[in-house]
Amino acid sequence: MTLSRRTVLGGALAGAAALALAGCGGSGGSGDRLRVAFPGGGSRESLDPHVVPQFVDQARAKACFDVLAGWSQDMAPVPRLAESWESDASGTRWRIRLRSARWHDGRPVTATDVLATWRRIADPATSASAAASYRTVDFATSRAASATELDVVLSAPNSFFPLAWGAPGAEILPEGRIDPARPVGCGPFRFVSFTPGRSAVYSAYEGYWDGVPPSRELEFVVIDDENARVGALLSGQVAWVHDLRPTSARQLESDSRARLVSAPDSNTLFLPVRVDRPPFSDPRLREAVRLGIDREALVRVVLLGRGRPGNDMFGAGLEYYPTDVPQVTRDVDRARALVTEAGAQGLAFDLQTSTASPTFDPAAGLIAQQLTEIGLRPTVRQLPSENYFTAIRTTGVASLTRSGTLPIPDNLARRAVSTATQANYTGFRDTRIDDLVARASAATDPAVRDAAVREAQLLLRAESGNLVWASGAYDVGTAAHLAGYDVARTNSATWARFDRARLG
Amino acid sequence: MRRAPLRLAVGVGQLVVVAVVVFFLTTSLPGDTAEIVLGQDATPEQVAALRAQLGTDRPAGERFADWASGVLAGDLGRSLQTGQPVVTELSTRLGSTALLAALTLLLLLPLAVLAGTAAGRRAGSSLDRGLTGFLSSVQAAPEFALGLLLVALFALQLGWVPATGGGGGLVTPAVLVLPVVVLVANQLGRLARQVRAGVLTVDRAPHVVHLRRLGLPEPVVLARHVLPGAVLPTIQQLARVVDGLLGGVVVVESLFALPGIGSGFVEAVRARDLPLVGGYALLFAATTILVNLAAGLLSARLTPYRAVLT
Repeated sequence: MTLSRRTVLGGALAGAAALALAGCGGSGGSGDRLRVAFPGGGSRESLDPHVVPQFVDQARAKACFDVLAGWSQDMAPVPRLAESWESDASGTRWRIRLRSARWHDGRPVTATDVLATWRRIADPATSASAAASYRTVDFATSRAASATELDVVLSAPNSFFPLAWGAPGAEILPEGRIDPARPVGCGPFRFVSFTPGRSAVYSAYEGYWDGVPPSRELEFVVIDDENARVGALLSGQVAWVHDLRPTSARQLESDSRARLVSAPDSNTLFLPVRVDRPPFSDPRLREAVRLGIDREALVRVVLLGRGRPGNDMFGAGLEYYPTDVPQVTRDVDRARALVTEAGAQGLAFDLQTSTASPTFDPAAGLIAQQLTEIGLRPTVRQLPSENYFTAIRTTGVASLTRSGTLPIPDNLARRAVSTATQANYTGFRDTRIDDLVARASAATDPAVRDAAVREAQLLLRAESGNLVWASGAYDVGTAAHLAGYDVARTNSATWARFDRARLG
Repeated sequence: MRRAPLRLAVGVGQLVVVAVVVFFLTTSLPGDTAEIVLGQDATPEQVAALRAQLGTDRPAGERFADWASGVLAGDLGRSLQTGQPVVTELSTRLGSTALLAALTLLLLLPLAVLAGTAAGRRAGSSLDRGLTGFLSSVQAAPEFALGLLLVALFALQLGWVPATGGGGGLVTPAVLVLPVVVLVANQLGRLARQVRAGVLTVDRAPHVVHLRRLGLPEPVVLARHVLPGAVLPTIQQLARVVDGLLGGVVVVESLFALPGIGSGFVEAVRARDLPLVGGYALLFAATTILVNLAAGLLSARLTPYRAVLT
């Protein structure tokens, strides 16, 4: 076959045109569909509500499922599927009464569903996020007393047990009908479709126990780039965006097309230093760093004033937070003296950071500068963001971390006890914390419980090396005409809950 | 044309090398899929259990051998993150990238020929200087800066086009307007300069001067005798553009939240999703080899002396 030059040129042009036309298309949005945008990179992108490493996973789970009790804004349990509960005097036996609720397939939510769910969460094969909170449930003796009543037996007293019901990844599933590919829940929205890494669509569930959601459809879209998320909000493509940088928050404050919903004290920002390795195994150097950082300046520069200086304790603004502890302030002279006393003038070490949070890099730069002023010589070292939190558990001596809101007892029991492996970035392990957590869990007298929690917080503040440089706001943006979404701390029952949200 | 099979065979060898290098480079990165997908709160036991489930606790060589034997049998395996077949993952994203590339080319080619011809035929004129200066400055602007500027102006201020894609119901034809404009702006200068240089050379060639002396109408001289010769050197540059567009345009995809293969590849590497990374590597290498092979064949066919000699 002989192809003339003209045929070749013409064919190429026609091919390009055909390819372009074939690709045109796509679906537009409908007026009743509420679209919300999250970053989603790195997620396993499964609809299994018990494996929820990312905020978008938790938000999707919240739309489709429900929990026994959620967390209020100050992180106390608030009833949801559980109408009421009580324990015996020892805190080991619990009676839970369920409200009348139905699964999306029309069957009632029962006590056996709850027990089956907890078994699944506790099963190591599930890799469930909330597994640690259900290890003490004695499944051999716990039983469904009736369709809506549950008698639970714990292997150790735990007055904080209802807090476990609101942990991310504690959603109740229907017994025998668990299909992560086509989930059946009892939450406000019914599953419609899911494209990993792109979008998940749900429709309003008419049988939802807390009232039919006003938005007929809810769509989660994944937009990793923060600029693109803000652009999508301001151009009206989405009505709600998660995880904003302080600069974008400030931009939205002055834009009439959007509303900034800022939850104070929702982002605890840490500077963990290793207490189990030199040089910070020397308490004088830990104290020097504590006194050497200028928290006021960090809040002003890194958070643009959207937060308050930390006082080296987790949970500012929450139940059980000791408010009477004097605020630590910068004391350069004392810090320098401590460095000299420890013989560490000019001591070089790496300050590890990553882009895992937009605050880390600017904070690392400023902290390094501040610590130079007290005689240390830190070098900012960038690590890959994707496994940053795992890497800093094993390498380095100082790094930056952060945490969303959690109840203080939950944080102590899951992250601070000596057996905890999660979120331990300082190597601090002390069985005194275990004893205090056990004492608080077993206490029936609130005064004893408060005292034990306070003592644990103060012990961590003094010795754990987990310095808290700020308690920041967590910002989301909504369309100016979106009603029914109020300020909510991360992980609280109302955070990313769209069953009251509607476009006006 | 006769050398095409040989070049294809070399291409297959290149594919193998790329697959091996990419696979082992990715395994040498810190962290693994189990750690990354379970997030910071996972316990070491949970990470170990997932590693065993995914098979990532086995030696890299063994995993590569498994993957390679699967590829030879026509099975690219399944993504460690999503459990979906790699072919499905790739084809889902390839559609978006192919569409973006096709629309870009559809605009880019005529614009480059028009601008290059206009500038080349009036070399040194104010039109030539103006066009060349404008296209060079647009080309010099980084994609992200130009993208942000266009979003701020046309999406957020004027509201003419959507700001971003983002998957699902947000993907409409209008979403592609700004990404296509950014990509065209980024490539137009290079291609137009090639066409200009070609037109400048051919327009003054003895045979073209002779045809004009013979009284052939100017449109005929231009369309039949100047342009075919002038675009010839552009084909290799065009191949690089096509390869770049099909290989994924990470910045533009990220800026406009378009789920294409560039951002997909970055996500796969970040998650240490080896079967998926391998799939992308094969796809990129195959695209590069095929596009360059096609460019070579096209150049050979368009070279006038071949038509005379054969």
